[in-house]
Formats: sequence, structure tokens, C-alpha cells
Amino acid sequence: MKPEERILESPNKHKDFVVSGSLVSIRDRQSKLATQAEAASKAEGKVLTAGEILTIEEVAAKSIDGLDMAKTLSAMGDIGPEARLFIYRPNGKLARHEVFADPRVCVDIHRGAVIENLTEKPKDVSGWRTHEFFIDTKGCLGDECGRCAIVCPENAIHLRGKGKGSFHEIDPLACKGCYICWVECVRTAADCILVDGKTFDPVMRAKHFGE
Amino acid sequence: MATVLSGNAAAAWGFRLSRVQCYPYYPITPSTGCSQQISRWVNDGAMDALTINAESEHSAASQIIAAGKSVRAGTATSSKGLLYMIEVLENAAGAGVPAGIFLGNRATGAPINIWADNTDAYAMRDSGAIQLFASDAQSALDGVIQGYRIAEDIKVRLPFSVNLRGFTGTHAYEGVEIPDQKAVDSLLPSYVPLYSLFAPGKPVTYGAMLSAYPYRRHKRNQMEVLRQATAVAQKVGKEFGKTFGRAYGLFEWIGDPKADLVIALMGESASPGEVVVRHLQGREGIPGVALLKIRLFSPFPAREIAEALAKAKTKAVVVLDEGLQHGAVFPPLAQRLTTAVHLHLEGKGPRIASVIGGLGGSEVRQEHFQLMFALADNIAAGKPVRTEPYWLDIDEDPIFCESEAQVSPKLLKKWGEVWRRHERKEKYFAPIPADTHEIRIYSRAGQGAITSAVGFTGAGILSGHQLLTVPAFGSERRGAIITTDTLINLNKDKKVRSFNRAWNAVVLYDDTILYSPEHQVLDGLKEGGLLLVNTANLTTKKIRQILNASESRVRVFTVNANEIAHRIGLKHINMTMLGAFHKAYQEIPFDVAQTYYEKNVPRPRDASMEAIRQGFAQTTDQVTIKPKKESRLVTTQEFLDWRPDDHGMESWPSAVEEYQHG
Repeated sequence: MKPEERILESPNKHKDFVVSGSLVSIRDRQSKLATQAEAASKAEGKVLTAGEILTIEEVAAKSIDGLDMAKTLSAMGDIGPEARLFIYRPNGKLARHEVFADPRVCVDIHRGAVIENLTEKPKDVSGWRTHEFFIDTKGCLGDECGRCAIVCPENAIHLRGKGKGSFHEIDPLACKGCYICWVECVRTAADCILVDGKTFDPVMRAKHFGE
Repeated sequence: MATVLSGNAAAAWGFRLSRVQCYPYYPITPSTGCSQQISRWVNDGAMDALTINAESEHSAASQIIAAGKSVRAGTATSSKGLLYMIEVLENAAGAGVPAGIFLGNRATGAPINIWADNTDAYAMRDSGAIQLFASDAQSALDGVIQGYRIAEDIKVRLPFSVNLRGFTGTHAYEGVEIPDQKAVDSLLPSYVPLYSLFAPGKPVTYGAMLSAYPYRRHKRNQMEVLRQATAVAQKVGKEFGKTFGRAYGLFEWIGDPKADLVIALMGESASPGEVVVRHLQGREGIPGVALLKIRLFSPFPAREIAEALAKAKTKAVVVLDEGLQHGAVFPPLAQRLTTAVHLHLEGKGPRIASVIGGLGGSEVRQEHFQLMFALADNIAAGKPVRTEPYWLDIDEDPIFCESEAQVSPKLLKKWGEVWRRHERKEKYFAPIPADTHEIRIYSRAGQGAITSAVGFTGAGILSGHQLLTVPAFGSERRGAIITTDTLINLNKDKKVRSFNRAWNAVVLYDDTILYSPEHQVLDGLKEGGLLLVNTANLTTKKIRQILNASESRVRVFTVNANEIAHRIGLKHINMTMLGAFHKAYQEIPFDVAQTYYEKNVPRPRDASMEAIRQGFAQTTDQVTIKPKKESRLVTTQEFLDWRPDDHGMESWPSAVEEYQHG
């Protein structure tokens, strides 16, 4: 008897991964690829609800369904400024809550030294670079290319605008002056990325490309 | 009613009742049983969890950390496996990931030793995890549930481990109350992650690189968080007691609340100590004695212990460490306790001596506690004390020196003065009356002695007694002689988990064991005790002759279990021997036992029950039994009949030929 076949979920556009028994074989894609929207909605369902930790100011500023606000605030007031409210609201419904004193001494460091990436203040690394880098908007292909933004290790290059007339811009606080964008730019001939205002420097080019 | 479980299975129940969602594991003796049990439950659908067969302990630990950020995760390990995990565990502690580990404590090589001591747990003591020590299967089960509650508390969020002594804890079978799932759920709500996994709106980085300034600030926080665990553990232990009637503290003070002499220790070895404390308490000329059984080792409840010692006005503490890391000259528990007393009592605390014992599977017996209390008495009297640890059961380095010729001359030079001034007070060494019955089974590995002893344990518990079965593990192979010990507690008020090593009954599953030069089966058998032998052709008289026990008051019983098992069609004789044992030893009523066996014997149940009944019926202590023709299982007979001459080596098919013929 032939074992039942099952197709593995995969983002690969060209191939299907077929499992039959303990054997996995690869064939050209026949099954419909889930659209990005579908994949996103699936992923959305899998995101776990996390607990929230609020300070007394944050609690005072909002009302939380199913919580005795007066009692909570007075309990937090008893503890003082290090009072925190822990709440857990899966599907928007309050399931757990607890008032506790924050055990941390240094409150600028998150529990477990976890870094919340989007709330981190960018660091000014402009002092690291010895040359100034600038993208000439006239030469930049904008959203048609984006190579420099992809290769930038500091995520310092951002796309501005949309479609025709869009261009890339270097964040002068985040650029360390590593030359990678300059080396990787496909538009060397059009002199897209300027270094110290110079369009094309044979000496520098020789240094970086060994020419 | 209590269920018969091994320590490993009890820990597995702890994980199951805690609704652990991810359980990666890499099995290692002696904690394998826990992972095996969980793996089976997950396979059967009894437990909704993801088990992962990790490629190493390092991976298993990494996986519980990765999983522990979002779901409840746990694993079990021992010895070197734990050492391999420690590298990762520090990440769990630093990043505040609450994951659980059950540890069957075992020595760490070299030299290789698979038996119990706390060395592995000691190696982990600085990895930032909460360490709880369980003293029996029940407290291991309760410890895992409480461990998750403590570890996941919003003030704590740290990994934890529950420690149980290898083999005498993990492989000992005893009655365990399995808590109700609903009650556990109310005590231990579901896991709440602090950050969503892969949440697009709020990406986070765990374990990022921090430079000196934020790093030291993080460490300051981490220490404060670890400190919180002490208070939380105390609170959770109390709440657990309210729900289940078994309250736990940071430590347990057993004995006189105003004890002058205290032995501090952790874990399972406290059970012989409890017997000794009960025995010594209130005896003439002996000051108050107590055991300080420490449950929370990390974070060490230094202030609480120091306060307890100050409150009791204790004069001397002997600290028993059942493990010694390879780099230690003063063991960890003694170190922590000394520091606690020094820091919190400022020189007004008790005097402290360190004792090392129970290493690599060494048993800590009742007489050791008598020795240690006698030592504590000397120290309390102001006699000099060794600043380096004492040792248990080292002839060249005894606690009390009775003959100077025996001890190491090196040590005599160094500690001779201390030895000479110490006095071994005989009042501490009064023999301890046993209120237990103890049974030893000698069998050959593979005969099923453990199965029958565990069955007997269940039957005993059903008839209202407390029983404990501890099989010996380690150097056996199929056919080797092994022992399985069962303890029946006749004192219904107090739990006993320590053997006196005076047997009321000795059972031989194979009469050839009578001839084994290594096993003197009558050794330790009490006067008037009973000896049950599975034999086809030996009479009780002959057995007495072989053992040189013709005049002894030992009652000898025989049964031809091979023949009965063969006739019924069973491969093992263990069920027949179980029935036979009930005939010889009547403390556990056979009719009650049968109701237990009907539901619990191995399949096929009818045949097993028949074997039990026939074993019971055909056991005799009469001398005049007519020797029957020897009846052996067919496979045994073939094995015995085989002679090298019968088969020339050339007539054996070679591996190549076998392969060619398919």
C-alpha cells in the first residue's frame, strides 16, 4: 500500500516538499502558494499574547476592563513608585492581574536584559567615520534598486518616497563610514554615492577594489 | 489512595500536572525514567506536549530556554548531562527564562560513578537557577509543581531545578498521592510570556551584548530578583499546604525546637536522621537534638536559617554534605551555612563542623547520624574542632579515633590533639529498636524481582501500611545476582524511609544463589526470620545443610516456582514467588493483596493470578517434601545442555552466508 502523501508548508515558490512515510521528495510546485495576506493572517493567529507590566502612571491613565481600578491604584500607592501592575489579557479579556513591587534596582535595564528593539534610542556613531557619505538623489534609482539599504550593516540607509522620484538617504547619525554601500552600489558609473563630496576617486577605488 | 510510583515517575507526574508544553530531553542515568514516562504519555495522548529527542543535553537545555520564553518547558538530567547543560543554563538565568529541570543527583567523573551524590547539583549552584531538594518521591512531585509556580512568579522569572537523590530516590518505589489536576490548575495558572514570540509590532532581543555600564546594572538587578525567590518559595510552599495538606518551607526543623545539637543536610538522606532524632530525643544525658533539612539551596535562605539557629540557641551544627566538587576543600553546604552564621549572627552563632558522606552511592545510615550527634556534643562542649571536613566511613580518617594505629599517621600528626580530646559518648550509640520489617530478594537480573516487589509494595499500601522498595542498580547484567529490598513500616504514625539492614525475610529466586561465594544470604537475617527458596530438588533440610544453619532458628520455606510457571505457561517466575512469599510472610493479608493484584499484575492477568495462587498453595516449610524431578524452562534447559563439542565452530553459519541467503 502506498503511504499517504502530505505536502510540507513551505514558502518556496517553485518546489513542493512531499512527505510519504519517512521519505521526503521534491517536485515542481503544484499546490497553490499561500498568498502573503493568508500567511500573515495565519501567523497573526499564532502570536502569543504576552503579559503587560504597567507603572502607576500608566494604570491611572487608562481604564482596564474587569479590574477594580480604585483598589488597584490604592494597592500600588501603598507600595510606592516601584509599584507595578501585571496584567494578562488573552483575547482582550482580563485573565490575571497582580500588583507587585518591581524587584529591579536599576530600572533602565529591562528584566532579563531584554532589549525592546523599537524603543531603543539610536546611538550617534557619526564620530566613527573618517569620511562623509552622501547619496546623490539624481543618480539614485530609488525603490527600483535598494541595494545599498540591504547591504548596510547599520540599517542607516532609508528609502524616501515611492515609485518615480523616490531615493535613498543616509542617516548621518547611524553611518559608520564602512564603504560597503559605496562598493556595492550598481550605479558606480552614474556616481550615485559621493564620498567627501567627490564623485569618483581613483586612489580610493584602487584601495577598495585592488584596481 | 496512594499510587506506587518511583521517584522518576513521580517527577514525571509533576511535569504532567504542571501541564508542561515542551519537553526536550537527552536521557541519562538515573533520571531516564522521568523522560521515558513523559515520552510515553505524549505518545499515548495522555499529555499534550511537544517532546524533542535532542542531540545532546546542551541542545535540550537550549531548547527549554527557547521554548521557555513562550511556553512552559522542562527536562530531566543528571551528572555530566547537567554539567553539559550548565553552559546554557546561565543564559536562562540571565535572560530570566522560567524553565524547569528535574535532577536525579549523581556523582560526576572521573572516576565514572553512576550512583548518587549531590556533586552535579553543587556544580550548578552558581548558574543562577533556583534549586529545590526533594527528600522522597512525593516531595519531588510537589517540588516540580511548586518550582514552576516560584519560577514563573512575576517577581522572580528564573529557571529552577528539583533535585532527588539518584537510585535511592529516583528508583525507589513508594506510595505517592497524585494531586488532582483541577486543584493543581488553580494553584498553578497557565504560563504567561512577558514578550510575544515573533510579534511584528514589538520585536525583542534576548541575551544581547551589553557593555560594562548596562551589564553591571543588569547583574545588580539579577541578584535582587534571585533574592525574591526566597520569599516567594515560602509563600508558595504555604499555599501548597493549604490546597493539598502538605506544606513546605525553605527548610524543615525536625526534632527539638530548642535543640543544642543540629545536623544540617539536604534531601533524601534525612530519613535515617529522622529515625535517630526520634530515638535520641528525651534520652537521659542527651541535650536537645534536631535535623535541619534544607529544601531551598539556591538562593540560600541564609538569614532565615541563621535566625532559626539563633532562636533555638543551638550550640553546635554538623553540616553533612553529600557531594564534593572536584575543586573543593570545604564543601558547599557547609560553606554557605558558615557564611550565613558568620554574616547574620556576628560571632554569636553556633560552632560548625563539616562532614562529607554519602558520596558516589554510599549510604548514609542511622549509625552515621549517631556518630554526628556525638561529634556535635563534643563541639558544643567547647572541645576543639577540625577546620577541615570530617569524613564518614573512611577507616584511616574516622570521626572518633579509637585506635591510633589505625588512622593515617599524616592525619594523626595534624589532628591528633583534636582526636584525643574528643570523647565518643556511648549514650549516643544505644541500639535503635526497629519498628519496620525488611525483606531482601536475591534474584538474577531478568527474573522480574523488581516487578514482584513493586506489586507487593502496592498490596501493602492497600492494606494500610507504608512501604518502600529500593532495588539495587548498577553493575548488573542479565543473569547477575541482584538485590531488591522492601521496607514495611509497622508504625502507622511516622513515615520511615531508612533501612536497618536487618532482614525479616530473605527470598532467593534461584537456588544456585545458595552457592554463590559472594552472597552470604543469611547475613543480616534476623533470628527467627524466614528464608524462602525457589528450588526444584532441594529440601529445607538440605538448604540448612548448605548454609550451615542446621541449628539456626531460621524458618526455611521452599517452592518449585519454575515448575509452576512452566505449567501455567509464564516466562517469569516472579508472580509465583510473589504468591509463595505471601504464604511465608503473613503480615500483609493475602486476600487484600489479591484484590490489588487482580488489577495490577502484568499481562496476561489470568495466568499471573493463577501463578500467584498456586505459588501460595504450594509453598511449604516441611522437611519431608519429596524431591520432584527438576523442571526447567525450555530455554534454560537448552542453555544448560549446550556443550562446545556439540557444535564445531565451522558448522556455524558465518555472517556473510547469512547475508547471502537473505
